[in-house]
Amino acid sequence: MGPLSNAQAETIVEDAPGSPAAPEHERTPAALLRSLFREDRFFLILSVFIGIFSGLAVVCFRFAIDWWRIYLLGSGAELSTWRLLLAPTIAGLVIAVITIHVFPLARGSGVNQTKAALYIYNGYIPFRTAIGKFLTASLAIGSGHSLGPEDPSLQIGASLASLIGRRMKLSRDRMRLIAPVGAAAGLAAAFNAPISAVLFVIEEVIGRWTAGILGSVVLSAVSSVVVMRSFLGSESLFRIPPVELRRPSELIAYAILGIVGGCASVAFASGIGALRPRFRDLPQWTQYLQPAAAGLLIGIIAVLGAPQVMGAGYEYMDEAMHGQFTWQFLAILAGLKIVATLLSFVSGTPGGMFAPTLFIGAMLGAAVGGAEHALLPHLHWSPGTYALVGMGVLFAGFLRAPMTSVFMVLEVSGNYSIIVPVIVANTFAYVISRALQPTPIFDVLTRQDGLELPSMEELREENILRVEDAMHVSSDPVLEGEERIDRAHEILKNGGYPVLLVRLKPGDWSGITREELDRLIREGKGSQSLVSVLAGHPIPCLHPDQPLDVALRYVDRWPLVPVVNRANFRKLEGAISQRDVLERYRDFGGE
Amino acid sequence: MRKRLAQMHVSRYLRHEVVTLIVLTGLTVVLFLAVTVVSRIFYAQQNALAIRWSIRGNTDLNAGHYKDADAEFRAALRYSRGNFYYQLGLAQALLGQHLTSEAYSYLINLWSQKPENGLVNLELARIASGAGDTEQALRYYHNAIYANWSGDQQSQERNARLELIGYLLRIKSRAQAQSELISLEASSGDDPAVQARIGALFLEAEDYQHALEAYRSSLKVRPHDAQALAGAGAAAFELGDYLVAQRYLERAAAAAPNDAESRGRLRLTELVLQLDPFRPRIPVAQRNRNVIELFGAAGQRIQSCPAAASYVSPGNPQQDLAGAWEKLKPQITESGLRRDPDLVNTAMDLVFSVERQASEWCGTPTETDSALLLIAKLHEGN
Repeated sequence: MGPLSNAQAETIVEDAPGSPAAPEHERTPAALLRSLFREDRFFLILSVFIGIFSGLAVVCFRFAIDWWRIYLLGSGAELSTWRLLLAPTIAGLVIAVITIHVFPLARGSGVNQTKAALYIYNGYIPFRTAIGKFLTASLAIGSGHSLGPEDPSLQIGASLASLIGRRMKLSRDRMRLIAPVGAAAGLAAAFNAPISAVLFVIEEVIGRWTAGILGSVVLSAVSSVVVMRSFLGSESLFRIPPVELRRPSELIAYAILGIVGGCASVAFASGIGALRPRFRDLPQWTQYLQPAAAGLLIGIIAVLGAPQVMGAGYEYMDEAMHGQFTWQFLAILAGLKIVATLLSFVSGTPGGMFAPTLFIGAMLGAAVGGAEHALLPHLHWSPGTYALVGMGVLFAGFLRAPMTSVFMVLEVSGNYSIIVPVIVANTFAYVISRALQPTPIFDVLTRQDGLELPSMEELREENILRVEDAMHVSSDPVLEGEERIDRAHEILKNGGYPVLLVRLKPGDWSGITREELDRLIREGKGSQSLVSVLAGHPIPCLHPDQPLDVALRYVDRWPLVPVVNRANFRKLEGAISQRDVLERYRDFGGE
Repeated sequence: MRKRLAQMHVSRYLRHEVVTLIVLTGLTVVLFLAVTVVSRIFYAQQNALAIRWSIRGNTDLNAGHYKDADAEFRAALRYSRGNFYYQLGLAQALLGQHLTSEAYSYLINLWSQKPENGLVNLELARIASGAGDTEQALRYYHNAIYANWSGDQQSQERNARLELIGYLLRIKSRAQAQSELISLEASSGDDPAVQARIGALFLEAEDYQHALEAYRSSLKVRPHDAQALAGAGAAAFELGDYLVAQRYLERAAAAAPNDAESRGRLRLTELVLQLDPFRPRIPVAQRNRNVIELFGAAGQRIQSCPAAASYVSPGNPQQDLAGAWEKLKPQITESGLRRDPDLVNTAMDLVFSVERQASEWCGTPTETDSALLLIAKLHEGN
């Protein structure tokens, strides 16, 4: 049966494939260097460099956006009508030509391209994409298209990381992970929020938590934020007004905000999902005009009195937080921003949807808060609190990243007293969005692009089989370690059991087959105890709650694996064999 | 052999990972320097734009063009986002447009950054006072008084305190206003304009003695300041020192002939001085003539104000004022008064009673009646 020790079994479980461990007996300088530069450790060091380069790239990207804005729209706060109309239109034409002829991959979602690199292209993202994204997205946002810099930053980071990984000739496993590491760095620098960036990449791109990935992602995110702050300052995106929850009953008001935000998220996502394929199906020549037409329409919206919808709009979110708009105007701005972002995004203009999502959320949040206050004047109303919660609501409802949405608000506000309203409102928004729009927006976009990437939401909520679903509660006897071998042989023979479990002390388990007992009897060891021959060969134990995948690692090596109680290793809950596992999987497929 | 193999391993790692790290470090340094140069260019431009727009904002703010200043400070803030003074300028522009809640949100944010800033506290105090939040208003005003001010610290503090006193007087908190005024006077020096302002505030706070002193202090430096003369006259008038009041008011009327209030007050002062039968060193004959005249005026007042005529005083329940006047009238002659000097007091007590009642029921129709009331007040308790 070839039993392994528990320690050896643990090693099998813990070690990632392809990570060469230095042999214990080697103590040479070469071995030490090799140990130092083991690929997983080297990957961590590389993550810091990826973070630094991504941070620098994002800083330049932000400069580029501001420069485009100054030269195209003017430096003043009040913009001239001609500039408002011409800048996004002409920029749209230029962007269309560049993206069609020079940087075709600059279109589309950076999140999905990073996921595609992880799951399809073995971590490969052409560096040209980063250049294209940098130029076209900065021009689009700077000229007033209603898009944000976060998604392009994420993709620039991922693309840089991919380039570095290729140059370093990393293994395939590491190469696959390097794009998300760069993505976290880019997003962290763009948001000035490392925790949210790490969570988002884990939640939406990688989809699983392991120490190896987490370490690299955290290191890259932190180093990029440090670089970004050294150039752009450590101020948060917004001036956060005092945030407070005076009475628990106010949570009802936030729940209403969650419901409204959930509905708005569905409208926004449905609009993108419905319009994007239609725009793409239009004749090829219209691709040259679509961004320009979108730009012109956004310019008209601006001229008609809502220039706030242009660009990322962070300064206006800040103003909304400080009560500088009436709630009616805030509601109008939220609606117009949805329209403007739909136009920009479905026309294929490069740029992200994070900032527009936050904008819509902030405006909607403050508007809902204002309306509630108008209806119920005794209700305490702080526009800043509602705007912040609104941001989280749209993040949860539209981007469907519930964990990130909570931490993003906490990180941006720096105030933990807001956590309860955020959780309440986000939960409502998330549930409504899921109910009305079953497929998350990122999955809608990938499927429209003809890719089948794993859906992180589906992965998160997938029903997994556990050991308890497959194990059988056997009435077969359990042999004690002190039992003599000839007695055990008799029990197996009389009962017709092919294999029985043996309880060793102090909680170890082993198993013995009839063939092994026959051999031991022949060797004249019948008077010895079972423990004397099995002591060094325990079987790893399973617990009922463990995923069934774990059992798969053992059942091909041991014909019967004990399933024991977590609190009492001597108490047998059941046993599991390869046949049990395969039958359960077959039944599960049928379900 | 083993040693040789080890050396080969070392050189391989040196060639690959170590060299890679060195190259990456070098690249990091080069890129950092390059981005530093780019960022310097970027921030130089941003600063220039911020300064340009803030200058325009300040110009428009000072000119009272608040809407333009609002846009300009917003533009300046776009290029220097956290700038305290641009935010303050924007808040002031918003206040100028009566966008109080928006301004408040900026100011409270600035206050959290610099709670010691005088202007921020003063603006917050103004917002609180406008909103009727006295507690917050007093808190911010006091913060402003003891805050840091750019420029002339003393004068800014003084102005903040003057504004606080004005607010206290508006909410009729005279006692607090008086104590603030006393603090202000102690720290104000000899500036005649400031002393005159303090005098006016003391006058408003009904602290006439301090008002007179402040005006006198101002007049020492600027003896012909019409406003100070009028104020000193008013203070002396309220103190009942009509001789001093007359002196100041005459000079005030001469310095500012259009000052109707001072002229009116002067006429009343002169009438008091002229009619007062108890003024020091008045000849007996003159006193008796004044008593007869005032007694006659009281008779007319009784006729014009029946409510006062029918008033029965607690000290004389058998007769109303009209009856008492009629009863006393035959005795109020020059000879009668000469014969019985006590009649002066009796007659004047009745006159004062009539005037008090008449002013209570029927107002004060003539200057003589007003003068009589002042004389009554002056000799109350005698």
